[in-house]
Amino acid sequence: MEIFQIYLPIAGMQFNALILVAIGFSVGVMGGFFGVGGAWVVTPALNAFGFPMAYAIGTDLAHMFGKSIVATAKHRKMGNVDAKLGILSIMGSVIGVEIGARNVMWLTKLGIAGPVVRYVYMVLLFGLGIYMLYDYATKDKRAAAQAAKVAVAARAGVTPPAKKSWNLPPMVHFPTSGITISFWSVTGVFLFTGWLSGFLGVGGGFIRMPALIYIIGCPTAIAVGTDLFSVLFTGAYGCLTYAVKGRVEIFAAILMLCGASIGAQIGVTAVKYIRGYGIRLLFAIMVLLAGISVCLKQFNYISGSQWMVMCAALGMCLVIIIKLYQGFKKEQAEKARYAAKEVKP
Amino acid sequence: MKRFSVIIINFLLLGVPALVCAAEGLEIPDELNKKINLANLSGFSHFFAKWYNDNLWVYAIMVTLLMGIVGLTIAVVADVILKMIGMEVSKIEHLE
Repeated sequence: MEIFQIYLPIAGMQFNALILVAIGFSVGVMGGFFGVGGAWVVTPALNAFGFPMAYAIGTDLAHMFGKSIVATAKHRKMGNVDAKLGILSIMGSVIGVEIGARNVMWLTKLGIAGPVVRYVYMVLLFGLGIYMLYDYATKDKRAAAQAAKVAVAARAGVTPPAKKSWNLPPMVHFPTSGITISFWSVTGVFLFTGWLSGFLGVGGGFIRMPALIYIIGCPTAIAVGTDLFSVLFTGAYGCLTYAVKGRVEIFAAILMLCGASIGAQIGVTAVKYIRGYGIRLLFAIMVLLAGISVCLKQFNYISGSQWMVMCAALGMCLVIIIKLYQGFKKEQAEKARYAAKEVKP
Repeated sequence: MKRFSVIIINFLLLGVPALVCAAEGLEIPDELNKKINLANLSGFSHFFAKWYNDNLWVYAIMVTLLMGIVGLTIAVVADVILKMIGMEVSKIEHLE
């Protein structure tokens, strides 16, 4: 392992290049697949291996910018990026983050910021994870109920009642996602997700992605691609602002980016082979594991929490790679069968 | 009347974030006032560390551009490789 030791001039320390590439790779796979930046994995992982915390966040944001270019470009090819929705999400999120950050400052003055933020984080992670698992478990039941409702309406010769929603004008149409929704609903959702990310001090991808699915009504793959599109802009801004403050270790960021770019290719391609609900299930599991990690941190099991999040990330990467391999094999077999049918007249 | 009330609600909603933002001041974190010792550095390490010491804005712009360029280059190269092994992607059907 000695041969992989490199000197990082900005951080002023020796570090193992292989670890940086490996962390980048695993976050790249997850980022491409779930549409998240992955700061909640990178920061504790870097910290666990002795990377100085002063540079961890900035270096992570720098590599996140490069990685999201790779992943967004690929998602765009697959028709998974709703640019209009993405731009609205950036505008709403920026204001929300600002409000969230100010709320934290206010709580800091009161001396209760740490525990409040951690408890909100835990409630959010567990609430989100459990809701997504419940949604996955009841999907067939709900689909059957909906089909029955449509059948009854068809027999009676009427159209089934539409879902109730808040239709305050102006209404905005998003052709890529195939939805028309009130401008205020979209802005409100992004303001809230932005507020949460500002309040919790996280990138916000893991909040925005489920919000796009469950509140806005995006198909899962488009939620993933659109979220990555937003991460691209927040990553670029984060990279610049942290570098100006001298907190980006450029060589570490490049090594992580190399691993992440390869990982992102794998993660994005896996989206092609896994249905929307499969992505939601894996995301729910990952969010619950992250919640357990935050719990461990709250009870001062710091290294346990770091290892927990790292092992969860590596395990999830393995699952995604296996699913990709199985999907690819299946596709190849189908192609071969189709080609054989074409030859045989 | 309905149109008028919609306009009023829209204006009220537009003002909400500004009101919340005005409530509290935001503290700006301190910058790292650190200088790197260039004596034992050479090549790229020396180049980037020198800019880090001299002008953080130039360093920041270089970092951001470099990340973008490396990301784009890897995206293009990986695309070619994946096409060669038959894993190219195109528009997909959005199945839930």
